[in-house]
Amino acid sequence: MKKFFSLQARRIYIALIMLFLYAPIITLIVLSFNSSRSRAKWGGFTLDWYKALFENESILQALYNTLAIALLSSVIATVIGTISCIAINSMKRKSRTVVMGITNIPMLNADIVTGISLMLLFLSLGLKFGFGTILLAHITFNIPYVILSVMPRMKQLNPSVYEAALDLGASPVNAWFKVVLPDLLPAIQSGFLMAFTMSLDDFIITHFTKGPGVDTLSTKIYTEVKKGIKPEMYALSTIIFITVLVLLLLVNKTPSPEKSPGRQKGLYQLTQKPGFRYASAGFLLLLTGSGIFLGMSRIKEPEVQQVIVYNWGEYLDPEVIEMFEAETGIQVIYDEYETNEIMFPKVAAGTSAYDVLCPSDYMIEKLIENDMLMEIDFDNIPNAVNIGQQYYEQSKGFDPKNKYSVPYCWGTVGILYNKTMVTEPVDSWSILWDEQYSNNILMQDSVRDAFMVALKLKGYSMNSMDEDELKEARDLLIEQRPVVQAYVVDQVRDKMIGGEAALGVIYSGEAIYTQRENPDLEYVIPQEGTNVWIDSWVIPKTAQNKENAEIFIDYMCRPDIALLNFEYITYSTPNDAARELIEDEDIRNSDIAFPDLSLYDHLETYDYLGEEGDSLYNDLWKEVKSQ
Amino acid sequence: MNKKKLWLSGPYLFWAVCFIIIPLCMVIYYGITDKTGAFTLENVLSVSTPEHMKALGLSLLLSLISTILCLIFAYPLASILAGMNKNQHSFIVLIFILPMWMNFLLRTLAWQTLLEKTGVINNILTFFHLPSLEIINTPYAIVLGMVYNFLPFMVLPIYNALCKIDKNVINAARDLGANGIQTFFRIILPLSLPGVISGISMVFIPALTTFVISNILGGGKILLIGNVIEQEFTQASNWHVGSGLSLVLMVFILISMVVSAILDKDGEGSL
Repeated sequence: MKKFFSLQARRIYIALIMLFLYAPIITLIVLSFNSSRSRAKWGGFTLDWYKALFENESILQALYNTLAIALLSSVIATVIGTISCIAINSMKRKSRTVVMGITNIPMLNADIVTGISLMLLFLSLGLKFGFGTILLAHITFNIPYVILSVMPRMKQLNPSVYEAALDLGASPVNAWFKVVLPDLLPAIQSGFLMAFTMSLDDFIITHFTKGPGVDTLSTKIYTEVKKGIKPEMYALSTIIFITVLVLLLLVNKTPSPEKSPGRQKGLYQLTQKPGFRYASAGFLLLLTGSGIFLGMSRIKEPEVQQVIVYNWGEYLDPEVIEMFEAETGIQVIYDEYETNEIMFPKVAAGTSAYDVLCPSDYMIEKLIENDMLMEIDFDNIPNAVNIGQQYYEQSKGFDPKNKYSVPYCWGTVGILYNKTMVTEPVDSWSILWDEQYSNNILMQDSVRDAFMVALKLKGYSMNSMDEDELKEARDLLIEQRPVVQAYVVDQVRDKMIGGEAALGVIYSGEAIYTQRENPDLEYVIPQEGTNVWIDSWVIPKTAQNKENAEIFIDYMCRPDIALLNFEYITYSTPNDAARELIEDEDIRNSDIAFPDLSLYDHLETYDYLGEEGDSLYNDLWKEVKSQ
Repeated sequence: MNKKKLWLSGPYLFWAVCFIIIPLCMVIYYGITDKTGAFTLENVLSVSTPEHMKALGLSLLLSLISTILCLIFAYPLASILAGMNKNQHSFIVLIFILPMWMNFLLRTLAWQTLLEKTGVINNILTFFHLPSLEIINTPYAIVLGMVYNFLPFMVLPIYNALCKIDKNVINAARDLGANGIQTFFRIILPLSLPGVISGISMVFIPALTTFVISNILGGGKILLIGNVIEQEFTQASNWHVGSGLSLVLMVFILISMVVSAILDKDGEGSL
């Protein structure tokens, strides 16, 4: 091996691979000092995010959950895995192959399948989704890593040593702990380390097995992708990375006592060093210590009163929740989803008894149609009068008698464009087909929004169920594909701010924020019409705290609270009283935040099209995407 | 070790049945029934529609390319590492695991920042008046993301296999007159094969089923089978088709398991 490459060539090779592996990590570290919130823009050096990180209780809580789950699941998996290795090793060849095959399943199966199948299982067992279910899931996918690490080592053991110990009078248990275990230890440790790492890094399985109010860093990051990752996350990752790196360097400084040749190297050898033991012991101590500390600080007095809220990611000012808790004494358990479609099965399956949801128009219609919503007692929501009458009128499209929903946010879908890249006036969806802007156009990666654009351009209804019209729309979208840079949902924001693209389809609520970050951006509602959507508070039938849910909804309708939320999320508020309170005149009269809808033609709101309609749209969309 | 030890497998077997076998059966159940609960093969057969076939074909192609690239990069790397000063091994090996302590989503998003049209790499290239790199939102970027994320899974097993090779065997081959190339192809390569096999399956399968990488780096323009399954579950809420397609994927996983079982009889390839 050595003879093949010169020392120099080998060094360069390793350096190149290192560069490849660490380039993104350096990027993340640099971003953690970036004063601009956008990933695409450098705004100067700052340490603010580090300060903000330690004040952000939800991130610290997620960190605690992540570490606790990783530690617990990898310890339990290591114990179970090691014990079963002993058994598997003494099995007959056939049964051993079968067991090893089963062991491989969670490692090789698509994460999403593992995640969903575990969710189905927990549902049928009637378990409460939360910390426990995540832990069970993590143990499940961690055991294979331990077995696959310990098993080969087990096979290399010389059985005579164990037998010799027995012959010399040791009890089997004694012999095992004194003779076999020390030999296995390096493999066990490396299995543990691998399991810990995998648990730390998992997102998909956690996503499907988590419950309300319990987040790990991964799930938190995923919900944040919607509105752009908070730079605090970069800061946290940097701290974790640096800590581990320093730990490693320290370990590497201590000399290794192991000199016997032919031994396992790498992880095995590392775990042999005394430095590693001290470091890992110290690390675990630190972990447990901070865990207890954080855990203690989280333990609140047993509150009987609570309300479980399931809302869009980043769709509420976190301060409002604290204010609500302080004022009413009702504890808020807060959970977030990314799309209506992800929310629906979770509510339908009843993984958790949510008290308040915030779905969009068509999804509310679907929930009503499936008899999943409770009527709201408007007597308990005096602040509902602050919501403008026209929004209730508009809500009748999906909630004909205004019985089930209280509007929270609304907006339009339009084109965001960069004035420095597009000089002609933008007033039609057709510009998204203009080859002049090839590779500079961002389309929405969601079925209904993409078809809305095409259907509106053709002059059809965006709720069309006419197969010919839909096929025309599909052909139009296929024709558009070559000029589209990317189909994205949430990243339109960051990409437009960074000047990655000239034109993008975006929700009006995002437009205000993007303009604040990049003044070259302009938002228009095309003349062919668009989608006017409403997200409203509703109470599902499975709610256990209906009264608290109504208190919560009422609180959200209070003008000062609605104003706080508006300023935080920048989505248009239907709360007229709150709008009056907006100090910045430009925003109060902004055409983007509060457009006069009577000036526009062909505006529509999505209808629920039934399962048949859903699958028709989905199939056609798949044809577009797979071109 | 004797038969008495078999009871020790109890906890794990119980666990495996509860959390691996039963959930698997549930996926199978969903995969072969329709919304009314009646038996159907439609979900599984839906893989033959042109859209699904295309997605599956592309997934197979991209994950195959990524696996080969990983192998090409990883093998020399593993052998360099295996030949290095013993005191440094541990450190260097952990260096490969270390990136995984930064969140997977964040790392993949960081690649987006690097590769974008106005991204870091292109800024550097323009500064030196070099032609810009336009691979974001193409299959190339997805392959890059796959190689990046799964390379450690190829390096570690090969490295471990190489470390296990007794130096005396190599010396013996040299003493018997084999040159460097002969030694490599007739001694080192065959002995490291278990590691290679295990590395291949640990890269190929996750690459085949990923949807996050293709979403973030492919700009949503490239539909892999993982994306199709994900969309069936999360957007179309059609769990039956999603499960049916997962069953099809499982066939490929089974094939790769059988192949590695045959090639790696002793199960020596491991992390």
